[in-house]
Amino acid sequence: MIEFEHVGKRYGGRFEALSNIDFRVRRGEMVFLTGHSGAGKSSLLRLLMRLERPSRGRVLVAGHDIDRLHVSQVPYYRRQIGVVFQDHQLLFDRSVFDNVALPLTIQGMEPHEAARRVRAALDKVGLLYREKALPIELSTGEQQRVGIARAVVNKPALLLADEPTGNLDPQLSTDIMTLFEDFNRIGTTVMVASHDLALITRLRHRILRLREGRLVADEEAA
Amino acid sequence: MREAQPRHTSMRGARGQRPRKGSQLRAWARHHRAMCRDSATRLIRHPLASLLTMLAIAIALILPAGLWLTLDSARLLDAELDESATLTAYLEQAVGDAEAGRVTEALRAHEGVAEARLITAEAGMREFQESLGLEDALARLENNPLPASVVISPRDTAPEEVEQLAGALEEVSGVDEVRLDLAWLERLRRLAELGQRLVLALGGLFGLGVLLIVGNTIRLSVESRRQEIEVVTLIGATHAFVRRPFLYSGAWYGLGGGLLAWMLLSLGGHWLASPVTALAESYGADYRMPSLDWLGSAVLLFSSTLLGWSGAWVAVNRHLADIRPR
Ligand SMILES: Nc1ncnc2c1ncn2[C@@H]1O[C@H](COP(=O)(O)OP(=O)(O)OP(=O)(O)O)[C@@H](O)[C@H]1O
Ligand SMILES: [Mg+2]
Repeated sequence: MIEFEHVGKRYGGRFEALSNIDFRVRRGEMVFLTGHSGAGKSSLLRLLMRLERPSRGRVLVAGHDIDRLHVSQVPYYRRQIGVVFQDHQLLFDRSVFDNVALPLTIQGMEPHEAARRVRAALDKVGLLYREKALPIELSTGEQQRVGIARAVVNKPALLLADEPTGNLDPQLSTDIMTLFEDFNRIGTTVMVASHDLALITRLRHRILRLREGRLVADEEAA
Repeated sequence: MREAQPRHTSMRGARGQRPRKGSQLRAWARHHRAMCRDSATRLIRHPLASLLTMLAIAIALILPAGLWLTLDSARLLDAELDESATLTAYLEQAVGDAEAGRVTEALRAHEGVAEARLITAEAGMREFQESLGLEDALARLENNPLPASVVISPRDTAPEEVEQLAGALEEVSGVDEVRLDLAWLERLRRLAELGQRLVLALGGLFGLGVLLIVGNTIRLSVESRRQEIEVVTLIGATHAFVRRPFLYSGAWYGLGGGLLAWMLLSLGGHWLASPVTALAESYGADYRMPSLDWLGSAVLLFSSTLLGWSGAWVAVNRHLADIRPR
């Protein structure tokens, strides 16, 4: 599903945020990405979302070199991956329902069908009863779950998450990781960046470790 | 998610598949409707700010539109003048009354002549005396110094044609000289042309002004919705999708500005009408204040809407390039 072939990423000058990253993720796999702050986790995910382009090497998703997508194709590519952002990127002037519906609105899905899917996604993250609320009225954990609902509402084949449990308490963090495992169980390929080592080692999935932009360990699920 | 996702979901090809044509078209129309409504509500939510922008647009539109109206009525004037464009053929002094009749016939027979009317030497003298009130002074003259003349209406009133005709008529025997009173007509035409160019120049300049006004307003609203733009771009919105609400806002601003300009023009027209008519009457002219007709109004509203839309287009494209999701 994901292939990094000797990928390097430079920002501006000579400093390499990522260097010689080389790994594969199979379809339906669940992978954690970890490393110290500034190790390059977000950079790697941004390459996958094609928010950045590699300075070196190739990034392939489903067999396609995403660097070769034409600008006009990029939006259609992004619609196929669900992304959970560290700062959840919700729109605070719209209801929870409208936030989750956003990817479907962008695709121009028929409103009835969209509403059905939005409710299903909200139900899955346990927030169906808050659909009319504004994000500002929710707790941080609830906001994060709205972000997850939005990421999965389009049933993406690939789900990316950057620090989804950033500043949540341990119980909530576990709940959210369990949610990702649920999606993985129905076939979604999942990649989660997190520095919460205690939590991710407990979950027994493959772990990719980054240090100063290099892939220093690739531990298969125990 | 409750509904099970197929176990082996395939990435539908990284190139991305677009939905089928029919539903795509419906979705597109739906989004247009939604954005048209949405951008209107946004303007209404800030009535004063919107009104000020529209007023600025209206003011920029009024000057060229007003000038155009004036010019339009002036053009009507010069069409009337065209009909009165005449030539005067002065006959040789030696030509007597009987021969004058024959010369007139000859002139009338020319293909370029629509009508020819003889003014005998005496008739010409009488007219002259009456118009100048110089009866006494002229009565003392023993011989009538005026020649007989023929007033000719040309078929074609275009200046070059008339000039050519004048040359041809001078060849007719018995004709001394053909005069055309075209100089002042020509001057008026030049004036009209100048007016037209002024309207074009002012129209261009103030049109640019409208673009800038709308552009600046849209730039601010793009800036204020920056986060929203970033988020929708992150989750796969196309440029067209992001641009759409702003284009509609621009069009609404343009339309609003056009309507205001139309109202101000009508009001101004009414306000000026009675003094202008009175002034024209004192000169013995029948001049009505020009006003926008249906077509003129439609052109005004359409072009202002188009200007607003284009201003938004330029602004959005300029500023979307700066917005890159973090
Ligand atoms: N847009 C950018 N321009 C310049 N340098 C950048 C940019 N984005 C990231 N970097 C640099 O690249 C390196 C890797 O950053 P990245 O955000 O990928 O780290 P991270 O592993 O996600 O860290 P954290 O755990 O703190 O989020 C950092 O040194 C950062 O300063
Ligand atoms: Mg990061």
